[in-house]
Amino acid sequence: MMYSFIKPLKELAKGLYIVLKNGFKSDVTLMYPEKKKILNDNFRGKIKYNKEKCIKCRLCQKVCPSKGTITIDKEFIIDFSQCIFCANCVENCPKGALQITKEYELASKNKKDLIFKEEIN
Amino acid sequence: MGIFELIFTEYLLKFNVPLWLIFLLRQILYFIFAAAIMVIMVLFLVLFERKYLAFFTRRKGPDRVGLYGCLQTAADGIKILFKENILPKNADKFIYFTAPVIVFAPVMTVYLLIPFSQDVIPYSSNTGILLFLAILSLPVIGVIFAGYSSGNKYSLIGGIRSCIQAVSAEIPLFMVLAGIIILSNSMNLNDIVILQKDSVFNWNIFPSFLGFIIFFVCSLITLNRIPFDFPEAESELAEGYNCEYSGMKFAMFFLGEYALTFIFSAFTACLFLGGYNSPFGCYLSDFLNFPLITGEILKNLEQFFWLILKSFVLILITMWIRAAYPRFRTDKTLELCWYIFIPLALFNLMVICFIQYFRGML
Repeated sequence: MMYSFIKPLKELAKGLYIVLKNGFKSDVTLMYPEKKKILNDNFRGKIKYNKEKCIKCRLCQKVCPSKGTITIDKEFIIDFSQCIFCANCVENCPKGALQITKEYELASKNKKDLIFKEEIN
Repeated sequence: MGIFELIFTEYLLKFNVPLWLIFLLRQILYFIFAAAIMVIMVLFLVLFERKYLAFFTRRKGPDRVGLYGCLQTAADGIKILFKENILPKNADKFIYFTAPVIVFAPVMTVYLLIPFSQDVIPYSSNTGILLFLAILSLPVIGVIFAGYSSGNKYSLIGGIRSCIQAVSAEIPLFMVLAGIIILSNSMNLNDIVILQKDSVFNWNIFPSFLGFIIFFVCSLITLNRIPFDFPEAESELAEGYNCEYSGMKFAMFFLGEYALTFIFSAFTACLFLGGYNSPFGCYLSDFLNFPLITGEILKNLEQFFWLILKSFVLILITMWIRAAYPRFRTDKTLELCWYIFIPLALFNLMVICFIQYFRGML
């Protein structure tokens, strides 16, 4: 009878202790704009285009899962508002004209800032 | 009459101010004092709770507005002032508008009953405890009104739950208080505090430790603090009774809740932990040789400090409990009140009667 009273009280005290113990550990929060996350080596960020290596084969355009992201005729266009950052285009490029960078802070108030254009010679 | 009242009266008598006006002014000043303490406490407690919970859950808490986020509550308050007042379609208009006032006004009044130090007792009543409990059962009526008048089933359920829990938690609360009244032979809060002076062992917590725990848990239930927050249970009722309220009316519910948290802990400190008395039995100002009036003022400040410190220790414990435990089930809480706390409170009352009887023999 007495034990049935004491056991739940013991568990309640244990809960309080665990919560207190957690409080003295270091914070989990990352203070984002001041401190940034350390990125992995295979992190897929903004895609960089090198026009000297490009041979206009349009493989990137074919392989892209989100259609209409990459268009190539007179100029090379990537629309980053549609891009899903799968880096399929980078892997399939035969000459290595496309590269992935670790840049990920692409947010802007103007949607036109997200469209990357470069003329192809 | 305390030293502050004496100085005040003497100063005004020089200008031939009539006595009735002096008394009126004195009460008005006391009210301003109590209201100022309430507002400061609420502003501080909201921020403090957020920071303290952040400490337990390994977060940072608010830290963008002002130094370490110290202006966050003020910013939230300003934001809430500019919010739109929404009147639901099914609402009972008159009751809907009066409910926040009914919750907030009694809380405001109750601050006058607490003896803050030996000379600052805004309203010394011979039935202080009764008055306190009578006034504090009023906010529940406001909550029921809010739940009924919102025209929303979740709000209604919240109001009903609040009613149920107020009824079941206040009975053990009264029984514990009966023990305190027997121990100190008085219902005047100031007398109860004075009887506990000189030493820690004179505190009421020692004869009625069981009573203290019951009082503490029951005050958590009446305050709707987190392990017993079923009137507003976010996951079940979507904020319950204040679901339909916005802007200033919501702020009144919110402020009332935090003001009650402080008032209950100050009340518990007065009843069980010696109120404004220093735990060492002596004050720093006794050892420093100040002129009479300065010394007295310092002593009052020290006593005020002890009261605030004691109530803050209690608040810290309530917030710690909030961080640790999930919500109780409604029926389990009622079971706790009716099957466990009422018999225990009666047992506590019996023990106190024995102690008081043998104290009289000595």
